[in-house]
Amino acid sequence: MKKVVTGNYAVSWGARLARAQVIAAYPITPQTSIIEKLATFCADGEMEARFIKVESEHSAMAACIGASAAGARAFTATSGQGLLLMHEVVHWAAGARLPIVMGVVNRAIGPGWNIWTDQNDTLSQRDTGWLQFYCETNQEVLDTTIQAVKIAETVFLPAMVVLDAFLLSHTSEPVDIPDQAEVDAFLPPYRPELKLDLDDPRAFGALVLPSDYMEMRYKIQKAMERAVGVAEAVDHEWGERFGRSWGLVERYRLDDAEIALVTSGTVTGTSRVVVDELRDKGLKIGLLKVRMFRPFPHEKVRQALAGIEKVAVIDRNISFGDSGVFAQEVRAALYRADKRPPVFDFVTGLGGRDIVPATIREIVDYTVAHDAPVEEFTWIGVKK
Amino acid sequence: MRKPKTYARNYEIPEEELTYSGSVSCPGCGATLAMRYALKALGPKTMVVIPACCWSIIAGPFPYSSLTVPIFHTAFETAGAVSSGIRAALDILGKEDITVMAWAGDGGTFDIGIQALSAAVERNEDFIYVCYDNEAYMNTGIQRSSATPWMAWTTTTPVKHPKDEPKKDIMAIMAAHYIPYTATATIAYPDDMIAKFRKAKSIHGAKFIHVLSPCPPGWKSEASDSIKLSRLAVQSKVFPLYEIEHGEKVTINVWPKDGGVPVSEYLRLQGRFRHLSDENIAAIQAEVDRNWERLVAKAKGSVYTELV
Amino acid sequence: MKKQTEARVITFTSEAEMPMMPASMASTLYNKTGSWRYMRPLYVNKTPPCNAACPAGEDIVMYLQLTAQGRYAEAWETIVRENPFPGVCGRVCPHPCESECNREHLGGAIAIHCQERFLADYAAAHDLGLPMPDVPQRGEHVAVVGAGPAGLSCAYHLRRMGYQVTVFDAGDKPGGMMRLIPEYRLPKEVLEREIAAIVATGVEVKTGVRLGVDVSLDDLKDYAAVFLAVGQSRSRRLGVPGEEATGVLPGIDFLARVARGQRVGLGEKVAVIGGGNTAMDAARTARRLGADVTIFYRRSRAEMPAIDEEVNEALDEGVRIEFLRAPVAVLTENGHVRGLRLTEMELGAPDESGRRRPLPVAGSEYEVACDTVIPALGQVADLSFLDAEVKSERGRIITDEKAATTRPPIFAGGDVATGFGTVTAAVGSGKRAALAIDCFLRGVERTFPDLAQNVQAAPRPHDAAVVRFEDLNTAYFEEEPRPRQEQRPAAERVTTFEEVNLGYGEDAALAEAQRCFSCGTCNECDNCLIFCPDVAVLRGPSDDEPFVFNYDYCKGCGICVSECPRHAISFEEEVKFAET
Repeated sequence: MKKVVTGNYAVSWGARLARAQVIAAYPITPQTSIIEKLATFCADGEMEARFIKVESEHSAMAACIGASAAGARAFTATSGQGLLLMHEVVHWAAGARLPIVMGVVNRAIGPGWNIWTDQNDTLSQRDTGWLQFYCETNQEVLDTTIQAVKIAETVFLPAMVVLDAFLLSHTSEPVDIPDQAEVDAFLPPYRPELKLDLDDPRAFGALVLPSDYMEMRYKIQKAMERAVGVAEAVDHEWGERFGRSWGLVERYRLDDAEIALVTSGTVTGTSRVVVDELRDKGLKIGLLKVRMFRPFPHEKVRQALAGIEKVAVIDRNISFGDSGVFAQEVRAALYRADKRPPVFDFVTGLGGRDIVPATIREIVDYTVAHDAPVEEFTWIGVKK
Repeated sequence: MRKPKTYARNYEIPEEELTYSGSVSCPGCGATLAMRYALKALGPKTMVVIPACCWSIIAGPFPYSSLTVPIFHTAFETAGAVSSGIRAALDILGKEDITVMAWAGDGGTFDIGIQALSAAVERNEDFIYVCYDNEAYMNTGIQRSSATPWMAWTTTTPVKHPKDEPKKDIMAIMAAHYIPYTATATIAYPDDMIAKFRKAKSIHGAKFIHVLSPCPPGWKSEASDSIKLSRLAVQSKVFPLYEIEHGEKVTINVWPKDGGVPVSEYLRLQGRFRHLSDENIAAIQAEVDRNWERLVAKAKGSVYTELV
Repeated sequence: MKKQTEARVITFTSEAEMPMMPASMASTLYNKTGSWRYMRPLYVNKTPPCNAACPAGEDIVMYLQLTAQGRYAEAWETIVRENPFPGVCGRVCPHPCESECNREHLGGAIAIHCQERFLADYAAAHDLGLPMPDVPQRGEHVAVVGAGPAGLSCAYHLRRMGYQVTVFDAGDKPGGMMRLIPEYRLPKEVLEREIAAIVATGVEVKTGVRLGVDVSLDDLKDYAAVFLAVGQSRSRRLGVPGEEATGVLPGIDFLARVARGQRVGLGEKVAVIGGGNTAMDAARTARRLGADVTIFYRRSRAEMPAIDEEVNEALDEGVRIEFLRAPVAVLTENGHVRGLRLTEMELGAPDESGRRRPLPVAGSEYEVACDTVIPALGQVADLSFLDAEVKSERGRIITDEKAATTRPPIFAGGDVATGFGTVTAAVGSGKRAALAIDCFLRGVERTFPDLAQNVQAAPRPHDAAVVRFEDLNTAYFEEEPRPRQEQRPAAERVTTFEEVNLGYGEDAALAEAQRCFSCGTCNECDNCLIFCPDVAVLRGPSDDEPFVFNYDYCKGCGICVSECPRHAISFEEEVKFAET
C-alpha cells in the first residue's frame, strides 16, 4: 500500500509494523510527529503497545531499557538536545545488550537554539555501542526501521535510524507501506537470550571488576563486527521479500569513476543529481553513500573506493579541533587500502543550511582543481 | 513442632529468605536488613531495580547476586523510569502479577533521581518505589545529600561548617502527587514495615515507601546499635512511622511509648552529631516537636473519603 | 539461576564462559563474610535472678515459660525435678525469688509463688504423679532421719537416682514442721498429697521412731549412708520468771495441738511474744479460736523476720502488734497466767545479725493482763542423740558444702544443720545431701557451691552470671502490673481456717507467666533471627537449640546481642576461638 507520508510518519509506521511493544518518548522538535502518530496508533488500538509518556529523553531511554530488559520490544525517538540528554543511558542500553531501536531526527546542537538538521547529535553517540543507519528517503526510513529491529535483536545491540530534520522528517513522499503479515513473516517476535525472569532470576549489570570488564567490552565489539554481515543478510532478505534493498553502502556510478563523492543522508539525493549532470559533461565522477555508519563497513568502503583517484567526503557535522567525522572514518578505512587516494573533506550545511546542487558543484570543482588537500578540511559556504 | 511464640514480639514474618548471606554490606547495615524484610513481604514474584547506591554493591559483584529475585542495576537517576519500563513490558507480556520494586538510596531519590521518580508516580505507574534513606551519599564515602539532617557532619559538611539546611520533606513531596500510598518504615519495626510492603503490593498504582536505614560508618555509630537507633528515631519522633493514602489520609502507625524520648537520646549515639551544642539540640528538639504536632494534626484532620 | 544453597566461586578463564552482559551466575554465598568478624555472638543462657535466689534451686524461668505456653504439666514437672513440694512452697515460701525479680522495675515482680501454687494445684486437680527418671535401681540403702522437708526432699532425690531409702521420724506422721503450718495458709490435703506422692516413689517411712531414744546412730551403721534432718524441735525459752505457769504455751506446741485437732483453751486475751512466722501463725490461729491477740516484739517493724504479707494479714485480722516491748515476767495467779510485765525497749548498736540490738528502757516497765502467753522466739535442735564424732557448733551439726558431717558417711541438712528456717531452704538442703550422697557412694568428685547458694538436680546449661535489669533490652517490654491474688476478706477469715489466699486461676497464671522477662533464657522470641541483616541466624535443629549462628557469614555486628531482650546471647572476642 502506497501512502504519501513524511519521514517522521515513516518512522512511526516502521515501529508499528515492527510491533513495538513498549514506547517511551518525550517530545522535541522535529521528532514530535513520530510520537504523536505512535500515540494515535496506540490510542486507536492499531498497535498493541504501552506508550509511556515520560518526563525527559533520559527517562525515555531508561524506560526503554527497563522494558527491553523485561523482554519487550522497545522503541523510542528523539532528536538533537534530547539525544544528548540521553547520552548516559544510550551507553547503558548497549552495555546491557538491549536491542532497542530509536528513530533520531538529526538536529543541530545549541546554543544558539537550532532545530534544523546536522549530524553532530548522532555522531557524538558514535562510541556508545549503537548501530547507526543514515537514511536518504522516507521509504528507506521505513524499511530501515523494520530492518534495524531484526538486526538489533540478532546481535543484541541497540540501533539508531537517522533522518535529516525537515528534509525528511517533515517532507512527504510516496512510501510503500508493507502488509503487516509480510512484515511479521520477516520479523519474528523478540526472543531474548537473557531477560528479567522469575524462573531464571539473575542480577543484570552489577559491578564488574577489572578482571572481567574487558571481556564485556570485547563481546560488544564482536557483536558489532558480526552486525556487518547480519545487516547485509537482513537487507538482502528484505530485498527478496519486498523488492527493495539499500546496502550497507551504495555505489553510484563509481565503476569507472576517478572522483568519488562520499555522502550520507539527504545530501546523497542532491549529489546524485550533480553526479549525473557532471557525468553528462564527461567528468568521471561517482558517489558512495554510507548508509551504515556503525558498525563502520571498512571493507565495503575500501572495495568501493578501490581505483578512485580522489575522494571527496561531504560532512554535515564537525568534530571540533579535527575535521568532519565521516572523513575521519573514510580516511581510516582507506589507510589499509593498497593504494590510498587523497581524501578531501568538506564541512557544510551545518544547522540546516541548505546544501544545493551548487554547493556540490563547488565541492567537485575544488576537488578537480587540487591534486591533494591543502588543509585538513575545507569549509564550504562560510561567509568569510 | 515448634514452640508457640509467646513473648515480647509476635512477628508475622514469613520464614522464607529471599536474600543471600555473603553480601558485602557493612556490619550492622540497615539497608541490608530493610531489603530482607521487603522481599519477605513481597515474595518471590518481585523484580528489583537498583540505581547507583550502596545496594549496587551489596547486591553482589558480577557474576554474583545477593538476591533470589531478578535485579536490574541501572544508572543513578533512572529508577523511576526503568521501573516504568519494566512494568510496561510485564503488563504487555501478560505478567501483571509481578511486583516491580525500585530500591534507591536517598541520593537517588531526594536528589538525582527525583525527576524520574516524580514523573513515574505522577503517571501512577504500578510499582513500589523504596527509598532506603541513610541520610547521605554513603557509598561514595559520606557526602551530604538533601536527605542529610540539619547540623549533621558529612565529608562535605565538615564539623566547622555542618549542614545548614533541614532535611527535605520527601514524604510531603510524594504525598503532593496524590498517589495511592505513601508510607514511612524503619528496620526496628519489622511488623510495621512488612505490613506496609504487603499493603503497597496490594494496591494498584504508585507506592512510595521511605525507609530510614541506619548506617554505622556514615552515622559514626556502633554496628550493634542500628536497631536501637532505628527505634529511637521513631520513639524520639525524629522519624515517625505513618502512612498517607491518596495524598490526604494520614495515619500514624506507631505512637511513641509514654510520649516519646528526647532527641538527645537518638543524637548522642551518633558521632555525626557529636559536635552539637546544647542549643543545637534544643533547636532540633523544637523542630521535631513542631513537625510531630503538625503530623498529629494532619492525622486527626484527615478528611479523605473513598471515592466510589 | 535457581535459588542456591551452596557457595560457588566462579573464575572465568575464557570470555566464552561469560554471558554477553554482566548477568549473575551464582549467589553471594561464595563470599564468607565471617572472616570479617572480630566479635562472635554465642547463645549462652545466663542465670535468672529468681533461679539464683531460689533456696530449692527451682528453674523458675523455665516453668514460667512453659506455663506461658499453657504447658502446665511440663511446667509442674520442671518444678518437681528440683522440689517435690510446690504446693507447700507455693503457699508458705517467703519467695526470695520475687525480691530479686527484674520485673519489679516494670510493674512489679512476677508473682512466682502464685505460679508455683497454680501448677501444684493443677497437678493435684489432674492427679499427676511424680515422674521418675528411668534409671537403674541401685543396691545401696540410705537412712534418712527426719521426715520434714529436708528429709523427704533428700529421700525423693535419692529415689530419683535409684537408691533405696528408709525415712525415720519421731512423729506419728511424716511432714515435720510442715504439719504445724496453720490450715489457713497450708491446707492439710495439699501437704498430704505431696508427702504421699513422695512416698509413692518407693520411699519407706517409719514413723514413731525417735533418734536417740528408739534407735541410735550406731544402729544405722549398716546403711550405706545416713542423712540427719531432724530439724529444730525445741522452743526457745522466754527466760523470765513465771514461765512455768499454766497458760504459757510455746508457739510450736500450740500450733501442733491445733493441727492435731485438739481443743486448746486460750481464754480471752492472748499475748504472743516474738516477731517471726511462728509468732504470726500463733497469733492468727489464736484469733481464729476467738481470742483477743496482741503480739509483743522487742524490735521494730523493720527488723521483723516474719514475711511482710503475713504481718499485714495478721493486722488485717485484728491482731495488735506492740513493737519495742519485751516481757520481764509472766504474772501468775494460782499457778496460772494472769498477765505480763513488759519493758519498753530501744534500739542500740547493731548485733551480729546486723540488726540493731534492742535494749530495755530503764523505768519503763508496765503490766498487761492476759490469759495465755505464747512464746514464739524460735526453735533449737535437740542434739542429744549425737556422739562425739559428729561435731556440732552453737546447736547445729557442722557440715561442709557437701552436707557431710565430721563422721562419714553421715550427712546432715535442713534446720538441724543450716538453721535457715524455711521449708524451701530445707528442700534445697535435702537435695544437696542427696546429690552429695550419690557422689559419695559412686566415688565421684563433684564440687558444690557453698551452703548459701542453691544446687540443681537437673540444671540446664547456663552461665553463672546473674542477669540484672540493666542487662535487659527493655524496649521489648511494657510496664504491666502484677495481677492481684484473690483473698478471703479479713472479717470472714477470723471465723474459719479456710485458706486465706485463693491463688491464681488459669487466666491470671497465664497472663502472669507471659509477663516474665525470661531473664537470660532464650524463649524463641525470634529477635536475633529477625534482626540479622546477613541471614546468619538460622533456625536450629531442635527445641533445645532453637537458633544457630552461621559463622561462615556472621559479620559480628552484634545486633542480635543488643536486641536480645533477655541477655541470652554473649559477645566475645574472636581471638578466643582462634585455636579451635
